[in-house]
Formats: sequence, structure tokens, C-alpha cells
Amino acid sequence: MFHTIFLSAFATVALVVAITVLFAVARSRRSLSAGRADAIRWHTDFEALPSRDRQCRHVLTGELASRECPHAFDCRECLTHPKLLARRRPVDQFEEEVFGMPYPSDRLYHRGHAWARPESDGTVTIGLDELGRRVLGPPDVTDLPPEGARLSVNGTAWRFQKRDAEVRVLSPVDGEVVAVGAPNDDWYLRVKPFQAEFDFRHLLMPCEIRPWVMREMERLQLALNGTLADGGTPMEDISAAYPKANWDEVCGQLFLQG
Amino acid sequence: MPNQLIARGLKRCSTAQFALWVAPWFALLAYGVYAAGLCLVKGLNQTNMDNRFAFGLWIFLDLTIIALGAGAFFTGFLLYIMKMKELKGVIYSAVVIGLVCYSGAIAALMVDVGQPVRAWFTFWYPNVHSMLTEVTFCLTCYLTVLIIEYLPILLKNRKLRDVPSFLVFEFELHKLIYVLAGVGTFLSFFHQGSLGGLYGVLRGRPFAFREGLAIWPSTFFLFILSAVAVGPSFILVTTWIASKLTRKPLVKPEVLQLLGRISGVLLSVYVLAKTVDTLIWINHTSPNRGFAAWQYYSFEPFGTWILFLEIVGFGLIPALLLLSKRLRQRPAILVSAAALACCGIALNRFVQTVQTLALPTLRFDPFLSYWPSWQETGTFIGVIGYGVLVYSFSYRYLQLFPQERELAALPVVEEEQVLVER
Repeated sequence: MFHTIFLSAFATVALVVAITVLFAVARSRRSLSAGRADAIRWHTDFEALPSRDRQCRHVLTGELASRECPHAFDCRECLTHPKLLARRRPVDQFEEEVFGMPYPSDRLYHRGHAWARPESDGTVTIGLDELGRRVLGPPDVTDLPPEGARLSVNGTAWRFQKRDAEVRVLSPVDGEVVAVGAPNDDWYLRVKPFQAEFDFRHLLMPCEIRPWVMREMERLQLALNGTLADGGTPMEDISAAYPKANWDEVCGQLFLQG
Repeated sequence: MPNQLIARGLKRCSTAQFALWVAPWFALLAYGVYAAGLCLVKGLNQTNMDNRFAFGLWIFLDLTIIALGAGAFFTGFLLYIMKMKELKGVIYSAVVIGLVCYSGAIAALMVDVGQPVRAWFTFWYPNVHSMLTEVTFCLTCYLTVLIIEYLPILLKNRKLRDVPSFLVFEFELHKLIYVLAGVGTFLSFFHQGSLGGLYGVLRGRPFAFREGLAIWPSTFFLFILSAVAVGPSFILVTTWIASKLTRKPLVKPEVLQLLGRISGVLLSVYVLAKTVDTLIWINHTSPNRGFAAWQYYSFEPFGTWILFLEIVGFGLIPALLLLSKRLRQRPAILVSAAALACCGIALNRFVQTVQTLALPTLRFDPFLSYWPSWQETGTFIGVIGYGVLVYSFSYRYLQLFPQERELAALPVVEEEQVLVER
């Protein structure tokens, strides 16, 4: 009797462990076939970010004193975001330049330094913002997705290689790539959103750009172990000015990589 | 060029420095493998154990590291079952320590048991009356659980994460980790208890024999309690050592203080239970078996000092130190108290194993002495080398401390660097 209980206890444990692992395998297969790998990567990357880099956009603008984003920068899921937006005063004029860098107001910005510009034909053009461009300088390798590739918000839009750094630029939109930019274009991808109407609630609006870029400059300074002089304009190729910096780490921090 | 295997944001020493660090540990491991090989090939005549002194250094090592490794299951239990989120900062390190402790214990036990070619007999022909069967089943099951718990940590490696199926499997497995934490807790509790119970039922060894509850002698519960009390202390001490060796903060001080507090509370309960158990044993159990308790302590070097040291020096004092919030906030006291608690469990397992066997039980029995052979010591040292190596490689290539990236001190500005052009 006791022997049966003894052996049954171990058999049960072994069974529970086996079922758990098999269940995890089955769920993994389902997630992979549903194309959730990018979303999972972003989820784990976001969790690994230091809390100072997970701050809500409304903290940057001073609307909130402190708050870590609970939605991995996807404000489409946030209930607080629309309430705070409703309290904002309308702004007529936007700065087109921040710290001497052009940040046109005809587009919306992703916190991973990509921008998205809705076009009249319903597509969205995607590019790299000015600070991102200056931090990278001319990339050594650019790896763009082919036409027809499917992008998801916060998934990989395209990749750069610069010195020892491999950078994934996070996609600001969900959609299918319909065109790929030429090397001299100021944009990289043109995407047809999955939904008829482009949902941009998760992207930064022009009125939020200055405080965000200011925060990004601070983060860049920390990543570079350096000091930014007051005033002036960030140089065209910051990477060239820091030949000894660990560019992998700098880009990792700025482009929100895990 | 940064090593692409090391996670972004983590600073690690150069490959050459790391090679210098691991080289002596590899040497110890090689020495241990040679010593263990001799024991496996030539037999237990390579050791100084005999039919009377059948438990020696290896069983002491087994019991101690299994108790210290309890930090893994207990931290998992507190985090995933009791939802003490603060312990997230040390859980991965705890799992690695658990894995090292349990796999090291299995390795030492395999050398002790011998006959590796017939190792499968214990599973295929289980002798349910044998303690060894329970030990083998428990260790195998829990080691399997620990390996599965280690998988998500391993798959978080930067290069492995690039493979989508690994990334997704790690994520999905981690979501179910509370099941494994529960199973691990059950196994480890069961195993700690039965190890303690083994000594408590030794009727022919009145020094170890204890009364208890139903079929369980008091040592069954004391082993569980001491392991859960000291497990968090061991995690605390190892984290502190890792932090000192790498010269960087790895977890927030509050996490270490929380581990200290948990250890302090449980250690107090353990000291109380151990004291009550000892008093019952001195006044009731032992006299009923025909021995006055003082007789056990009349054989040098095992005087009453050893009992005092175990209960007061390594039990009560660290418990009181860890209970005080003010003292816990002083790292030197916190770590010293935790280290004392770890010494306490080692001493307890030493007393249970070595003192129990050394003491005579019949009038004509001599007081036995035992000193491990170099092969025994070599195997012991090999296990230590193996543990340090697994931990070192895990620390270097995996992210054992999730708070490390965040805690990386704000960079010191050494010189004004010009980033702007006027």
C-alpha cells in the first residue's frame, strides 16, 4: 500500500512535469504559427528595460509625476491615455525643429526612433527620425524587409548594422510592406495598414516631441558616458565622434533593444 | 568588439580575464574527476570509509549542499506561489545555485554508491524499503525540474533569443513556471524531510534517534525547517560574493535585506524548535534508550561546545541579527549573519553524519575517528570547482540578475566630451 503511494507520488510528479513541458511546446507552436514571435520579443525586451526607460509618455510631458508604462508603449490598450489627452489644451503651432534637428509635424513618432507619415492613398510611410539617424550615421549594412512582409507594432521593421552593433528598428505600425525605399530616400518603407483606418494612438504627437527628444538626449549622454554641451546641434554622425564607445550598447539603449 | 553572447547593457570582463578566473576551477574539476574516477574504477577501497563508518565527507557534502540549495525551491515558492515580487531580482541566480547544488550532490552520490553501469537498477528495480531509492527518485525528479527551470534562463541568452522558436518557447515555458515551482517545492520538502527522517529513525544510534509525530521523527521537520531558513541566507551570501567579485551591484539592497528578514524569521522558529527538540532528547528520549546525553559529549573533540555553537553561535545569534531591521541595513552584519547561518547548517549536517557514526553505541565499541582520503577530498573539491564553473559561465553569458542592468551605476563623467558642433 505505502509502496504504491510512494511510487505513485513520483509517477505523478513526472507526469505533471512532462505535461507542463508538452503544454509549453504546444503553446509555443501555436504562438509561432500565429506570428506572435515579434510581439513576444518586444514584451520581453520591454520588461528588461530599466524602469527609467519604461516611463509613460505623459511623464515626459509633465502631465504625470511618475508612471511606468503598463502596456509596453502600446497606448491603444491604455485607459489613462485618452483621459489625459482629453485634458490637453489644443496646440495650433508645432515646432518643426528640436535642438536644431528637423522633426516635421506631418508625421508621428515611435519611441524607438521611427516615424510614420500617413499618405493620402491610405498607406503609411516609415522612416528613421533625426536623432536616430545622427546616432547611427551612415549604416554599414541596411537590411530591409521584402515587399509583402508583414509588420507589427513594436516588431522588427528593418535592421541596421553599424560597427559592432546590430540594430532592429521597431515598427511604428501594423501592416504589409508595399514599397521599399531607395538608398537616397529619406524613408525606408511604405506600409499598407491592416485596418482601413490608421490607428496612431500609440505614437507620439508633434506636441510631445520636444520633451521626448530632451529625454532621449539625456539617455544618449548616459549611454555614451559623456556630457552634452549646452546649446548647439547634435553632429551629423555621432558614432564617428565616439570611435571607442560600445556602439552596440548605445544603440541598444536608444533603439530599445533587449 | 563586444561579445555577442553577452546581453546588452551588462558589463563583463574580457575573455582573457575570464579564462584566468576559470582556469584554477577547471584544474580543481579535473583533479576531482580523476579522484572520482579512481573511486569508480577501483572501488570504495580508495576511501577511508568502512562498514562501521559508512557515511563520510561525501554524505556530509550531499546533505549540506542540498540544504543550501533549498534556497532555489524556497525562493521559487515565495516568488511564484506567494507572489513576493521583490525576489524576482535573485530568482535566476537561485535556480542556478539549486541546479549546481543538486547536480553536485548527485555526482558525489554516484561516486559514493559506485557501480555506475548499474545505476538504472534503482529505477527499474526500486527497493521501496531503501532510503537510497527515495534519494535517487527525489534527486532525479528535482534535478529534472531544475534543468527545466534553467532552460528559460539559458534561452534568454542573447544569441539564442535570435532564434524565434527558442524565444517563444522560453516565454511560454516561463508562463508555466509556477507549476514547476510548486512541484520543486513538494520534491524538495519531501527530500529534505526524508533525509532528516533517516537519522531520526536510527534506533541503534541513540545520539541521532528522535521521537516525533506519527511515522515522522522530529528530524524530518527540523531538516525541512533548517533548509528553508538557511536557503535564503545562502542566496544572500552568494549574491554578495558575486557582487564583490564583479565589483558591481547586482540586486537592490532591499532584496538582500528581505532575504535576510525571511531567513531571520525562519531561523528563529528553527532555533526554538531545535532547542525544544534537544531538551526533549536530553531529558526523555536519550535516557529512555539507556544513555545520559552528557555521555555523547565526553569524546573529544565533540564536546558540548559543538551543541552550543550549533544552536547559539550559528543559530540564535544570526537569527537575532537578521531579525533586527536596523542591523539588517548594515551590509557587513547582514552578510556575516547569513554566513553564520550557512555555517550552522553545515555544522548540523556534520554532527548528524559524522558525530553520529563516530560515537560508540555498545560498551565494547571504540570511539571511531575518520579522516577523508585524498580521493574523497578530491571528489569534494571537484564538486566545488564544478559549481563555481557553472555559476561563472551562467553569470557571464546569461542574465542572472535582472536588476543588474538597471543598477549599473550612473556613468562617471571623466572628461568633457564634445558631442555638438557649434
